[in-house]
Order: sequence, then C-alpha cells, then structure tokens
Amino acid sequence: ESCGHIRISVPVVRLGDPVIASCTISPNCSKLDQESQILWRLQDGPNQPGDRQRRLPDGSQESTITLPHVNHTKAFLSCLVPWANSFQVLDQAELQAGYPPASPSNLSCLMYLTTNSLVCQWEPGPETYLPTNFTLKSFRSRDDCQYQKDSILDCVPEDGQNTCSIARKHLILYQNMVIWVQAKNMLGTSESPKLCLDPMDVVKLEPPVLQAVDISPDLIPYQPGCLWLSWKPWKPGEYIEQECELRYRPQLRRANWTLVSHLPSSEDQFKLCGLHQAPVYTLQIRCIRSPLPGLWSSWSPGLHLRPT
Amino acid sequence: PLPWPRSFLLKSLEQVRKIQTRNSELLEQLCATYKLCHPEELVLLGHSLGIPQAPLSRCSIQALQLTKCLSQLHSGLFLYQGLLQALTGISPELAPTVDMLQLDVANFATTIWQQMESLGVAPTVQPTQSTLPTFTSAFQRRAGGVLAASHLQSFLETAHCTLNHLV
Repeated sequence: ESCGHIRISVPVVRLGDPVIASCTISPNCSKLDQESQILWRLQDGPNQPGDRQRRLPDGSQESTITLPHVNHTKAFLSCLVPWANSFQVLDQAELQAGYPPASPSNLSCLMYLTTNSLVCQWEPGPETYLPTNFTLKSFRSRDDCQYQKDSILDCVPEDGQNTCSIARKHLILYQNMVIWVQAKNMLGTSESPKLCLDPMDVVKLEPPVLQAVDISPDLIPYQPGCLWLSWKPWKPGEYIEQECELRYRPQLRRANWTLVSHLPSSEDQFKLCGLHQAPVYTLQIRCIRSPLPGLWSSWSPGLHLRPT
Repeated sequence: PLPWPRSFLLKSLEQVRKIQTRNSELLEQLCATYKLCHPEELVLLGHSLGIPQAPLSRCSIQALQLTKCLSQLHSGLFLYQGLLQALTGISPELAPTVDMLQLDVANFATTIWQQMESLGVAPTVQPTQSTLPTFTSAFQRRAGGVLAASHLQSFLETAHCTLNHLV
C-alpha cells in the first residue's frame, strides 16, 4: 500500500483552464513523519507547497493545490515529502490539456470504379493536442436526403489519416446517402456539415486515351493544317454516358488553349483543321458524365502532333 | 399511368449498361475457365435444374404497360439476384465478379422499387425469394451460372430497349 495518493478534478482540461489536485498521505504510512509538509512538482518545475494542508478525521494528511492555468499539453504532477535531505515522490498523475475538436471541414467524396469504393476526405481542423478520433458516418436515404433509412457501417480511417474508404458492399449505387465526419476527444465531439450524394454522381472518371489517326491520302484528299484524332472512353467507365471536350494549342511561348466542347465519348475519326500557327500542337481531352450529373475527369496527358 | 421521370430512365439505362458489362465479363470468364461457352447447349440441363427465366412481356415495346413493366423488372432483378446468390462459391476466380454483379443487380432492383414507391404502385410488402435451384455438383453450379447469366443478358437487352424507347 503506497503512502500517498493523488486525485485530480479532471485528468484532461482545456489548455489554460485550472485544475485542482489533492494528495493524501495515509496515517498507516509508518515510514513518514506525519507532520511532513506535502509538496508538489509540475513536470521538472520547483517543489512547491499546496494551497492548503489539513489533517482529515481518519488521521490522514491532505494537501490541495490549484493550478490556475494548465499550459502544458501533457505534464506529470508529482506529490512529494521531504526525506532525509532529499525528497520522496509518493504519487504521480498525468495531466493532459488541449482543445475540443473543431468541426471537420471540406468533406468531399469520390467514387473509384477501379476499386469500387467511395473515398471521402476532409480537413480535421486545428490541432487539439489530444488523441482525437475521426469517424466517417453515413446512412442511406432517398431523393433529397430528408429522412434516414438504414445506417451504414462507420468508416474508421487509419491512424492519422483524414480519408476513409467505404466498400462497394456497403453502398447502394444510384441512391442518395448522407455522409458526414464526426470528431471526438476527451473534451468533446463535433461534426462536419452533412453531404447528400449518390455515389454514381461523384464517380472519378479517367480521361480517354487520345490518339492520332493516320489517314491515307487515297481515302481523303490532302489538306494542310489538319489532324485526325480518335479516342475511346476509359474502360471501367464505358457504360457511363459521357460528353467530352478537347483543347489544343500550338507549341509556342504563351500560346492559349482553344477548346472544342460537346464531343462524344468515343470517336474513331475526328478531324481538326486550321492548325497553321506552329509545326507542333499539344492536344488534351477530358470527359464528364452527361446528361446525368458527374465530375470532370482530369485532362489526358498532352499529345504532341504535327498537323499535315 | 404516370410517365417515368427522365432522370430515372437515364439512371436505369446506365445501370443496365453497367450490369451488362459485368455480366458479359462473367460469361467470358465461365467460357474461358470451364469451356462452357454456349448456353444453348445447356437448355436440357437448365430444364432439369429448373433455372427460371424472368418474363418481361409487359415491357415489350408493342405491349408496354408501364406499371406492370416496372413490377416485372423488379421481380426479374430480384429473381436474378437470388440466382446469383446460388452461384456463390462457384470458384475463387469468379467470386469477385459474381459478388459485384449481385450488388449491381440488387442496386438496380432498389432503383426500380423506389420508382414504384414514388409512383405509388409498389406492393406493401417486398417480394420474397422463390425456391431457387440447388446444384449437386460443381458442373451444375457452373452450368447454372452460364444459364442464369445468359438469361440475365437477354432480360437486360429487353429492359434496355424499353428504357431507350421511353427516354
């Protein structure tokens, strides 16, 4: 049975808040002079007496101290007594201080057709200095997400990650679901704003592969300043009706892009003419699900071609 | 009966194409792995196993009845969801395709069911799965897979035709 025991009002506090601690020396602690003054030490600071020391009805000695502003995010508070010409540490308590989590922000999700999973990411908010758990929560809903159908399994990110992946089997595609992030630590809980989305509306499309087409002059008369192109939709998304846009520019300093919009997602022979400004042109294409809602794919890698 | 909303039609068409793509993959895998490439050679076995084929008579363009067509679509998808369930354990190589196909079919059934609810034509109780064939050998399960997938493919072609007609 140890001689001393510390009790703390709250083991975790907000940074800057006060903490009250008490240290009690049991009367059966024969090795100690019962009249010793109980001292306190925060981290490796000086030993200091408590605010008040008194003898309790059961004969034990109790010292109480108030730390007005805890400004260590993690600190050890020790209770000591003088001993010979040194001190004895009777007990030690760990103090933690930080902040409650702010609401996570910028929650966004993408549906990856290659892994068939919905990946969401968010910004955690300012540092809390405390172990803080983030959980991606969601439930199935309908049309405008006004009411909750069945919940979906919580998605717990890997340590320190601000992203989580919901597996295909937990998703009902083409149905709306509500998604949000919850942050929780010892000082409180907060939630991000809720997203209402159908995973298929946030599909991460990849651009088609843009290719040059060699047209034999016997088939089509030679025309200067022209290029023939072809492209096919990205295979995992080929069942998705898409619309594409092409951009091109001459390989010149400070050349601007020219955009050709409303193109189909698959094209075997696309003719582009009027390319007289430079020997080589850079071309890129990107697509978006259409007419159903969707997100633009990234631009395809630049294709560098010589017009005829 | 109320016309079907355009967004429902577009989503359904996309889901049909998604399932068709995945279903073709399954058929190709069954053909490549087990050399079962011609469903028409399995008709006799199909009868003895009792592999059902979901009707879409009310969805044919000539005799289209919207409400009954929705109901047949849902019942058919529900049936094929069950049939695909019976294929679980067909083989580790095919399992991912079968699992994804099952999820896609189930999700399409949900889309249809929700549209029936929106139109107020959904039965009060969700359908229950009728008795499904039991396979007593690995060959029967594979052959059942080929038949189920090929029936599903023609089911989807009819559905695609109807939906395209209505868009």
